[in-house]
Amino acid sequence: MVAPIYIVAIALGIAFSLGFFGKKSTGFATGLFYAALAAISFISVQWFTGFIFNGQSSTEVFTAGLKPPFSISLQMGLPEAIITTMINLAGFMGAVFFADQLKKYGVHLMITYLLLIMGLNVIVMTRDIFNLFVFLEISSIAMAGMALVTQEKKSVQAGFKYLIATAIISALLLVGIILTYNYGESLYINDLLAANLTGIKAGATAIFLILMPVILELKPFPANGWGLDMYQATHPVVGSLLSAASATASIFVLYKLAPLGGDTGMQVIAVLGGLTFVASNLMGLKQSHAGRMLGYSSIAQTGLVMMVIGLQPVLGEHTLFIGFSILLTHFLAKAGLFWLRGILNTDKLKEWGKLRNTPLLLFVFVLFIVALTGFPPFPSFFGKWELVMQLANSGHGWWIAFILLGSLLEAVYLFRWVGYSLKIKSKEQTEQKAHKLIPVYLFAGILLTSVYFYLSHFYPDSMMQYVPLAFVALMFVLEFLPAIIKNIISIGGMAAYSWLLTDQYLGEDNLRFFFALIFLVGGILTMIPGFRQKGKRVGFYPAAVMMYAGLAMLISATDLLQFFIAWEIMTLGSYLLIIRGKRSIKHAFSYMLFSLGGAFAMLAGFGFAQAGNPGIGLDVLANMTYLPHLTAILLAIGFMTKTAALGLHIWLPGAHAEAESDVSPMVSAILLKAGVFGLMLLFIGMGAEAAGGHPLVIALGWLGALSALVGNLAASFQEDAKKLLAYSSIGQLGYILFAFSMMTHLGWLAGLTYVAGHASYKAILFLGIGAVVIRTGTHNMYQMGGLIKKMPLTFIGVLFAIITLAGIPPLAGFAGKWLFYNAVIMKGWYLQGAIVFTAGIIAFLYSFRILYAVFLGQLKDQHRKVKEAPITYLIPMFILMVGIMIFSAQPHLVLKPLGNMISGFFPSNMLDWNGGTALTSLGYWNGFQVAVIIMIMFAILTGWLLLTSRKAKKVGQFNIVYAAERPERPETTHMAYNMFAGYNKAVGFLAAPGITNIWRKIDAFFHDLGDWMRRIYSGNAQSYLIHIVAYTVIVFMIINFGI
Amino acid sequence: MITLEYITLGTGILLMLMGIWGLFTQKNLIKIVIGFTLVDTGIHILMVSIGHIKNRTAPIIDDAVNASEAADKVVDPIPQAMVLTAIVIGLGITALMLTFVVKMAKDNNSLNVSNFKSLKW
Repeated sequence: MVAPIYIVAIALGIAFSLGFFGKKSTGFATGLFYAALAAISFISVQWFTGFIFNGQSSTEVFTAGLKPPFSISLQMGLPEAIITTMINLAGFMGAVFFADQLKKYGVHLMITYLLLIMGLNVIVMTRDIFNLFVFLEISSIAMAGMALVTQEKKSVQAGFKYLIATAIISALLLVGIILTYNYGESLYINDLLAANLTGIKAGATAIFLILMPVILELKPFPANGWGLDMYQATHPVVGSLLSAASATASIFVLYKLAPLGGDTGMQVIAVLGGLTFVASNLMGLKQSHAGRMLGYSSIAQTGLVMMVIGLQPVLGEHTLFIGFSILLTHFLAKAGLFWLRGILNTDKLKEWGKLRNTPLLLFVFVLFIVALTGFPPFPSFFGKWELVMQLANSGHGWWIAFILLGSLLEAVYLFRWVGYSLKIKSKEQTEQKAHKLIPVYLFAGILLTSVYFYLSHFYPDSMMQYVPLAFVALMFVLEFLPAIIKNIISIGGMAAYSWLLTDQYLGEDNLRFFFALIFLVGGILTMIPGFRQKGKRVGFYPAAVMMYAGLAMLISATDLLQFFIAWEIMTLGSYLLIIRGKRSIKHAFSYMLFSLGGAFAMLAGFGFAQAGNPGIGLDVLANMTYLPHLTAILLAIGFMTKTAALGLHIWLPGAHAEAESDVSPMVSAILLKAGVFGLMLLFIGMGAEAAGGHPLVIALGWLGALSALVGNLAASFQEDAKKLLAYSSIGQLGYILFAFSMMTHLGWLAGLTYVAGHASYKAILFLGIGAVVIRTGTHNMYQMGGLIKKMPLTFIGVLFAIITLAGIPPLAGFAGKWLFYNAVIMKGWYLQGAIVFTAGIIAFLYSFRILYAVFLGQLKDQHRKVKEAPITYLIPMFILMVGIMIFSAQPHLVLKPLGNMISGFFPSNMLDWNGGTALTSLGYWNGFQVAVIIMIMFAILTGWLLLTSRKAKKVGQFNIVYAAERPERPETTHMAYNMFAGYNKAVGFLAAPGITNIWRKIDAFFHDLGDWMRRIYSGNAQSYLIHIVAYTVIVFMIINFGI
Repeated sequence: MITLEYITLGTGILLMLMGIWGLFTQKNLIKIVIGFTLVDTGIHILMVSIGHIKNRTAPIIDDAVNASEAADKVVDPIPQAMVLTAIVIGLGITALMLTFVVKMAKDNNSLNVSNFKSLKW
């Protein structure tokens, strides 16, 4: 093992000798410079691997052979080895990225760079507080010097502000050191820890003056304007060093010194860190400058880790794991993002669409952001998960709320950025220099590798659960293949996995079997239209497979963590699918925000649910002890963001309507059911039948009824065919929520029938209408019409689906309706029932509208050459139709097993079967009989019509008298335009976008608040100094005299 | 009685306060840098005064003080060593600050700190 002192010796020695090289021998100097960085990296890596693989014990080096305080000691333990490895890696890779500048500025820059990296190494290793001061100063000077690499007025100012701010902070530290020495009689941290200085008042002040500068080095809100300016104005490599190397070192210093402050100190650190986390993310909302935004995000993340350090007394042995996981992700992602900023060479967020021209870079960019926002399976997710669980275990609910709020705010600006880079096209090419790409790809690679270690740490025995994730990874690797092959592979993989899954659950757990069928068999059907695509269809398959992988993992999840991972994977995949639509950028964004908000509510709910329980198995939902009501509400909110219950629905219409034609059925017919699955698990946990009178359940029943009413009403007033279908989903999911909330046997049976029904008819409808959109090129129904002649098969499919949807006999929808009415009457929910029945009548309005406006009436001139829907769309439509027909004719085949399954939870008031006849205490129904009666009625009616209309004559399409529309500006006179205007006048206010406006106001409130807060950063160096001193004084006052 | 310790202590604190006043009120960049050096010097004097022990001499081992009796005759050497290091660092920082000031003055033709606010929010 090479002693850690050589890190200092090599770096200092070479830094000084570099000074002797003139301009002519720059080449040799450069070699020496990289060799020095490589050597110190090697030393730290060697210690790191030694600790991990060889059981190396930690060492402490004392200078000059003396003992402290007469010597300086450097410690090298596992934490130091990890942190110095991180710093040196960022340092080395930063230097590789920096090659152009190093050539330009020669040895001067090299010396500065080496001193910076060395300084950071020493502040990590040193156990002597004065030595800490010295090397902090060296790093600050070097860092400020690096600001001069960008020869701009702004960067010079930033460097000056940074220098003077850190100088004042160090001056404070110096006072602290001398006072500490006075009372503690040592500079050695180990001695000071033993001395317990906080016991005496003067000693406490001395420790305060040590810890406060260390906190200030981490740029806490609001005394951090100087840091933000530095992030914004300096070269991206300097930004990466600030964010990845310098912040990492400073965090470790805080971790090392925090125990000096005792419990009070910890509390203060936690509060200041938490405040920084939330405030910085809030202010980040308004940023349009990439560098500064990354600065806000960096400061926020550092604040979060600071908070974790401060929460040590609560988190106990988990502190290191949590802190390190968050820090590692931040380190990798931020360094990578700053380098990407250097490659793209733009700070305008909207110009990051340049990334589209290099798909691999775009992938890496999204990867970094996704990891940073705490998506599984990346390290920071596991850190945050563990953090929330531990905080819940110790009853710190408010901290959880705080953390999740901050995380959500961060996701807002980061995902807005992702949206821009995924969607805004740019012709500009990015410069592709190997030395700039290698660091980015390397860090992305490390991030991806870390996933394996985290998963195998949490699930050493059940890595099988993550086969779907591996499949997603495979689809990313196979991106170079043509779409048709990828489609075959995806379908094959899904088929194989669905066979495994259904085989496992059939008879064992029919609830999971049922949903596995919907998720995966439905998934395969919705993949079939993809065969139409030519070319590679870049980005589609990984996203689609990711969504289905998430759904599959949701089924097989056995504990809360697996469930949540699956949920987030599914969310991410569906986001990437939805944003593919042409005008989807803002809808996908709103989908992501609602999903994340819901997921965070769920995360908090899971945390509370497992508090007080021995494990995190899904069975804890049945045994909630800590805040059970709040937990149930949080979980319900989480699941209902996916089912788009009223209030949480505003993302749905845009997201579903603007998605690509074959994506709409995926996200509508299938994805929404994930929320239903979650709700069912929650209800089962709450005790199913026993939870019948629970206030939450009653409230959910009302919510379901209102969602049905408003959703259906809004659907009736849409001009956009896909929006109509999307709103109708809100209504249909309202029925489902209502049905399950009844908490009776019949209610659940009706609910499951609706789930299966909605999955099939909504898939048919979106496929059919999607095909119409492909053929006609418009979403607007008044621009369509008469398509029955051109697309008869599509019409049959849509008609079929509409009959099912409207619950008209003889098709399956009627079975659902019949069960539903029976359930409502038996439950006695007459008021809510009346609302739902009204909603059912309104459903006829939009059902008629879409049939009439699209397929009936007059064919438009421009549609004379329209072809039938693509065969790839018709196949899944007709397969689903066959399914519906079988169910309609022989409902007991499906309903009986479902009933048996439900009877496990609801043994009373079951549905009785007598052959094919269903019996309740209210009446009976036989699907086959009904079908026969309906057919006879239709036959009689048709016969009568034929008989009486023998004199009718055919009218040509341009016969104005009969055509019901005027040739020019048809949209104004077309019946399909503003159809139901009368109803709109009467009850339209119910469907007015009131809720959308409320969410808009919430959105504006946060943005305005962030904008107002950031005004504190006036840009004046002097104000920043005052901030630093005032911050110190105020914190001191609060600690000593209370608030 | 006013002893040496109190005088140095008082001077140190006074210099620090003066420096802080300068940092907070002066608009001229050079005066702000001077404010910083005053704070720094004040701290140095403070450090020396804290390390001082009455009736002892400087911690230099030579003819006057031999090694064996050093522990009883000299003041605490550590603050003295610290102060030397701190002075050197202070010098480095001041020099770099002035470099920045020169560059800023050349760029903007002004020394007023309020004129350098192009980075904010």
